[in-house]
Amino acid sequence: MSHAVPLQYYLVVAGVLFTTGTVGFLLRRNLLVLLMSIELMLNAVNLTLVAFNRVHQANHDGQLFSFFIIVVAAAEAAVGLAIVLAFFRVRRSVRSDDADLLRN
Amino acid sequence: MEALTANFPAEDFGLIAIVLLAPLIGAFVNGIFGKRLGKDAVRLMALAALGTSFLASLVSFIVLATGHHEKLRWVAWRWIELGGRGGRVIPLDVAFGVDAMTATMMLVVTGVGFLIHLYSSEYMWKDPGYHRFFAYLNLFCFAMLTLIMGDNLAVLFVGWEGVGLCSYLLIGFWYDNEKYASAGKKAFIVNRVGDFGLLVAMAGLVYFAGTLSWDQLNASTTSLMVPVTVWPIGNIPTEQVWDAQHAATSMWPAWLAHIFLPETPYQIYAATLIALATFLGCAGKSAQMPLYVWLPDAMAGPTPVSALIHAATMVTAGVYLVARMSAVFVLSPAAMAVVAVTGAFTAVFAASMGLFQKDLKKVLAYSTVSQLGFMFIGVGTGAFISGFFHVFTHAFFKACLFLGAGSVIHAMHVRIHDTDASQDMNHMGGLKKYMPITHWTFLLSCLAIAGVPGFSGFFSKDEILWKAFSEAVTTPQMKGAWAWPGWLGPAIYVAGILGATMTAFYMFRAYFMTFHGEFKGWTIVEGWVDPAPHAAGHHDTEDEAHGHDLSGDADHGAHAHAKVAHGDDAHGDADAHDDHHDHEYGVGKIEGPVPHESPLAMTIPLMVLAAFAVFGGFLGATPLHIEPLVHFLEPVFERADALVNPRGGIEPHGGLMWLMMAPGVAAAVVGIGAAYKIYFLDHGAGEAAFKKSFPGLYQLLFDRWRIDELYDATVVGMLDALADIFTMADKWIIDGIIARLSALVVGAAGSLLRLFHTGRVQVYAASMAIGIAGIGFFMARPHAAVQVQDEFLKQTGEVVLLAAPGLGYSYQWTGVTKTGESTDTFATKREQRVVVAQNETREIVVRVRNAFGMESETKVSLTRKGPAGPTANTPAGGAPQIVPKPALAPKVQRPAGVHGDQP
Repeated sequence: MSHAVPLQYYLVVAGVLFTTGTVGFLLRRNLLVLLMSIELMLNAVNLTLVAFNRVHQANHDGQLFSFFIIVVAAAEAAVGLAIVLAFFRVRRSVRSDDADLLRN
Repeated sequence: MEALTANFPAEDFGLIAIVLLAPLIGAFVNGIFGKRLGKDAVRLMALAALGTSFLASLVSFIVLATGHHEKLRWVAWRWIELGGRGGRVIPLDVAFGVDAMTATMMLVVTGVGFLIHLYSSEYMWKDPGYHRFFAYLNLFCFAMLTLIMGDNLAVLFVGWEGVGLCSYLLIGFWYDNEKYASAGKKAFIVNRVGDFGLLVAMAGLVYFAGTLSWDQLNASTTSLMVPVTVWPIGNIPTEQVWDAQHAATSMWPAWLAHIFLPETPYQIYAATLIALATFLGCAGKSAQMPLYVWLPDAMAGPTPVSALIHAATMVTAGVYLVARMSAVFVLSPAAMAVVAVTGAFTAVFAASMGLFQKDLKKVLAYSTVSQLGFMFIGVGTGAFISGFFHVFTHAFFKACLFLGAGSVIHAMHVRIHDTDASQDMNHMGGLKKYMPITHWTFLLSCLAIAGVPGFSGFFSKDEILWKAFSEAVTTPQMKGAWAWPGWLGPAIYVAGILGATMTAFYMFRAYFMTFHGEFKGWTIVEGWVDPAPHAAGHHDTEDEAHGHDLSGDADHGAHAHAKVAHGDDAHGDADAHDDHHDHEYGVGKIEGPVPHESPLAMTIPLMVLAAFAVFGGFLGATPLHIEPLVHFLEPVFERADALVNPRGGIEPHGGLMWLMMAPGVAAAVVGIGAAYKIYFLDHGAGEAAFKKSFPGLYQLLFDRWRIDELYDATVVGMLDALADIFTMADKWIIDGIIARLSALVVGAAGSLLRLFHTGRVQVYAASMAIGIAGIGFFMARPHAAVQVQDEFLKQTGEVVLLAAPGLGYSYQWTGVTKTGESTDTFATKREQRVVVAQNETREIVVRVRNAFGMESETKVSLTRKGPAGPTANTPAGGAPQIVPKPALAPKVQRPAGVHGDQP
């Protein structure tokens, strides 16, 4: 495995992905985009985990964790989309700013 | 008979359980399932329960009367064991006993109870709470039987409270009328005052006599002749203080202080204390002055309830208890005198209140209070059998009078639906020809209560007055002011005659106003038909039997129901029907049918009770020497009677007895005659004339001497004022400070925190991201920290240093060894052991490197002081030296200062 891509490359890519996700989550107002940003962050973490696992080949914790994260992300996406759908029925909008029924 | 005694031996007489449990089962079934069972089943259950109980009581009576036992006993279980004085164990059993007095009472309670159940099954037929009514009534019978059959004061008390509860439930039976509900509460609260006395008496008996069971109490009365010291108001040196401070002032304030705040206590016998406390309970339950006020208000309950509970049985419980504890009471002539005087005063006072009442039931209520006064005259003067015999006869004629009144009210309710107006005797009159059975039974009972010779009331009342006149309580230990005063008997006799005269007058006033003269309720129209049948929804085939009448009380129930469910058509009709003639009753104002006699289920009890009212007296006709009941009861009062003897020179059955009978007969004749003249011949002209000449006195009598108003002004007023104070405290302290202040704090915190809750998801996410970034930054940097364990620094100089752990940390130590060089390499060893010599200061530096190669360091300075200076300088040998100042020592021996620096 000596000719493999160094660990740092993976971490940089993951870092870029995570930052993109975070920035997207913070700056965008479209609920669907927010959900996708969350997916980006989760995938960045997944990438980090498998990359580290590649260095420490003796154990498989990293791969195991990434599977868990994929399952949780799928569930989260299902619930999140359902909420977005329900929200759209009520407010005819998918903007997070419009979720203000509890204010005043 | 043989089989009976074989199955039920006298010492384990299980039949008592059947007497008790039958009404309890009835109450349970009707209370839980009554609504689903339907009225027929409820009636069957209630009557069967009481019937069973009556038959079992009858068997018990026969076994007792024919056998050679003084008492039949049954112990259900051992209840409580108390530690008494001197290490004695005082057992309290749930035990029941039937002696002559109990057996007689049982027959009255179950017999009259059965008749009244039968009567009610018709009277209450239209009431929506039919099953509830019978559940309460059965429960009452159970409690009353517990009261009279209990073989000790504790079991009696259970029944005592049980009947109080049932009385409360039944007075407030139509609880949606606030007036009735508060009448129930009044009865309960006034009875509580009395029950306090009973509890005190119970505690006293446990302490002094060490028993609560009747048999042992009668046998161990000597233990009650011990002195008790009582400070009635306050054991404070007021007299001395007052006399010292006000030596020069006039006499009367000092005298007042001496009277009301006595410093010297009273010495009384325990028997007096216990008897008086017991009597307080009896006065509450049996409506004696000054606790009688609840009984007239208790007439708010259905009329059968008034007959059973507030005339025949429960209110006589107080008399029963005094008679039951006769052996204790006779030990204290003073307490007996209090009982007798209270009774006499109540008899006269209550009779005067009944003189001009216009409400038929109110007349009977005051008459009951007055008759209870007569009973207390009996038991208070030592004529226990006579007093109890009056309980017996009164149960019949007063129940009959109440049921007769109920029958009249039942008839009045055909057109007069207002409860008060239907009981107003000004709307009655002339009912004799319409209600023959009610009329005759009412007349016979009136003759009995008036004391016309030959009727039952004559024998019992006359015997009481004769015994009051002729006998005295002669307890040898009681001397002087505590002995029985000789003048008391004749004085009570005179008061009794006065009360009897008034009784005869007001009873016949009621009789003439109700049954004679012209009918004044409405214009009678033959074949009149109700244009809007009342409560049509309740009519069914059964109703044909009793025509279109409604019992007054049932009508009321329908009314109340209508208020709740106004949508219901039938009730809506009833309401509309009532509206157009509210408060407008009388001839010419409304029309109505011919008043009718009540159905058979109501008249049969009347006839049976009237028969007893007439002939019951011959069970104890002492002047004629026909007295089976008296002989039957004699063993019960054997001990008490030993201390009650004829006053000097009076022969028990001599000529004087016949002579003293004359005023009693005269009282009846004068009372009846006056009522006949005024209300039959003159149609009430005399009363109007009296009202005109003495308007103040008439109004005062009509307002019952305004005793209720006096209570309102004093006791109730004080309680109200107290409640107002508590309300203020609640409003200002609890609500104001605690509730408002905490709400303010929470509110302020909330408005502050609300600023952070913008509702924008991104803001939350951003703050989370910043927070995580901050934590991440902190975690990524190395942090050197050392924990120093220097407990042994002073003794051995050994110190353990423990560097704080961290992910991927390695440590470099400098200054651990004596020479002070560093360990050079970074190792994972967190712990270092350092030995510091005396008078040495060691600087230790710890460097920490984390996984990213970043470093951080911290410094620890350890100082160990040498031995204390003065000790080293102590010269060897020589004279004793000046001891070093102790203040110096701690300073020297203080542990070495240790401090760690953070980078």
